[in-house]
Amino acid sequence: MFDVFVAFRFLREGRAQTVLILTGIILGVAVQVFLNALIIGLQASLVSRTVGRSPHIIGTMPDLEPAAVLPADPGTRTLTRVVTNEGSLKPIRDGAAIVPQLVKLGIFRVILPAARGSGFILQGQKSLPVILLGSDLEDTDRLYDIRRRLTAGRYEVGADSVLLGKDLAAKLRLGVGSTVRISLPGGSGDLFRINGLFDLENQALNEGWILMPLSRVQNLFGLDRGLTEIELQVEDVFTAEKTAADLRAVFPSIRWRSWQETNASLLTALQSQSSSSYMIQLFVLLSVTLGIASVLAVSVVQKSRQIGILKAIGTLTRHVGRIFIIQGAVLGLAGSILGVTAGWGLILMFQATRAGDPSSFPITVSFGAAALSVFVATAAGTLAAFLPARRASRLNPIEVIRNG
Amino acid sequence: MAELIDLRDIVKVYGTAVRTTALRGVSLSLTPGEYTALIGRSGSGKSTLLNILGTLDRPTSGEMRVDGRDVFALDDDGLAVFRNRMIGFVFQFHHLLPEFTAYENVLLPFRAARGRATPEAERRARRLLERVGVSDRMDNKSTNLSGGQQQRVAIARALINEPRLVLADEPTGNLDTESSEAIKGLLREINRENGTTFLIVTHDRHIAAGCDRVIEIDDGRIIRDFRPAEETPDETWAALAPCECRERIRGDLKPAAIPPGPR
Repeated sequence: MFDVFVAFRFLREGRAQTVLILTGIILGVAVQVFLNALIIGLQASLVSRTVGRSPHIIGTMPDLEPAAVLPADPGTRTLTRVVTNEGSLKPIRDGAAIVPQLVKLGIFRVILPAARGSGFILQGQKSLPVILLGSDLEDTDRLYDIRRRLTAGRYEVGADSVLLGKDLAAKLRLGVGSTVRISLPGGSGDLFRINGLFDLENQALNEGWILMPLSRVQNLFGLDRGLTEIELQVEDVFTAEKTAADLRAVFPSIRWRSWQETNASLLTALQSQSSSSYMIQLFVLLSVTLGIASVLAVSVVQKSRQIGILKAIGTLTRHVGRIFIIQGAVLGLAGSILGVTAGWGLILMFQATRAGDPSSFPITVSFGAAALSVFVATAAGTLAAFLPARRASRLNPIEVIRNG
Repeated sequence: MAELIDLRDIVKVYGTAVRTTALRGVSLSLTPGEYTALIGRSGSGKSTLLNILGTLDRPTSGEMRVDGRDVFALDDDGLAVFRNRMIGFVFQFHHLLPEFTAYENVLLPFRAARGRATPEAERRARRLLERVGVSDRMDNKSTNLSGGQQQRVAIARALINEPRLVLADEPTGNLDTESSEAIKGLLREINRENGTTFLIVTHDRHIAAGCDRVIEIDDGRIIRDFRPAEETPDETWAALAPCECRERIRGDLKPAAIPPGPR
């Protein structure tokens, strides 16, 4: 109680010093909060752009391992290769039976059983390669967000009608209502009416994708009722790899790949971005801590006379130390609360200046992150006060009192 | 009357490599209510003795008994509590804390021990400030007070915990003559009113002459211990004379109490 009283009075009466160090802490914490929010916002936006409208996990049939015909012999090497009939698709074994089991798990945002095959469209001498995606249109929309991005026509497919990427349509100089002949590698093919055009903001998809009913693709490629892939979206994109691992254990006959596996370079980029942000934050924290420590060290020297008197009138040694510990903690706490507020203000300002910019992304400070900043800064302040506090409590009152 | 404080064979040696002996076996008892002056030249050991009496320093050997207990058997925190309850300090340079008002300064020793000031302690603080004559300045920061006023506040602070012993180190050493006279009178009055024991380190022979008892220390030993009231004024003045004068006086007058020191 007495130590709190004296600590606050020392802070209040050392105005210039207190204001100076508080400003330092506020700036440090504000930068830290702002930077942290910026990086998190940037990463969230990057991830959602990359994987937000694509499957997080894809299950396919594994590539066939060629069977060794010759007996294994350490002295010889056998090269084998599997030749598959071009254009033929390998359905997932028991695909149709697995889907209801996945639904039952209840952990997926979207489950899209699909059949995917490649074909081409002849245009004069050229043949344009296309991908035929057969799936339920509603589920496809939930995963790829296509309905909203239709540029022309209706969001509807049938046995003889399809949706086309807008760039493909432009290349073919075709529009809604036109008819297009889609050929398959085997030489067969069929005529389809174009129901609508979509723009998925990705040239490869806009030039190559053709959406049609699942049953139509199955029937074109002779898959019977088979699926070539099961596309999944989970609620939290970062749990995809873990979920994929679980799926591998439960359905070992299927090859499950998470987005992390297929986007390893993006993940590395995110991680190095995070670690550089942590480094900056660490150094900000370090300089805040050193700032508090040096201000308190100076304060102990300046107040040595007062400390001597306090000891002479019977203040316990540990209370003398606590006077400085409390000052460190209060500086850290007050500075970080104000700093978080300032950082939040910076973010609002940053958002306001970029309002309307299509490349802008939302940044928010989570309560947890703010609380962590306050906690860490307060702990750092308390820690920083330890050496000055020890010096204060070891001060010999006789020396300071004699010297007036 | 039972002794308040009983010092026995106090020896204080400073340093380990170069040893300086500040006190060479001092034995001394203070009786409750006594108003005592401690005199001696600079370097005589009187400050060391005062620090040991105030438990700010520990003796190299010897003991100090209060109420029959050996005080220096206590640990540092024990000494702090002892000091807080038993002893009031008045220093030469007042030593008020500039961060606090006069009133808050007076309450500091109380709050150091109990955290919060009780209404009774607050009343006592106001009464003491009134007693020392600065109640109209009690909300001033100590830096906004004159030297005399600061020393008055320091006296009030020394008395807030109702100590049994007040140690004053040159309480008028830093004041002009007028303030000096006033402070001198104030200390004596408080001693008479409350029966508080005082030990005053002073160079001022006028203060010493007005004390119940005068102890002179030189070269770490008590060389004189007498009561001015029991001596003739001439003898008292002879005893209080600076060393250089004593040689000349010696022939004419019988110096008080103990014979003068080797010099």
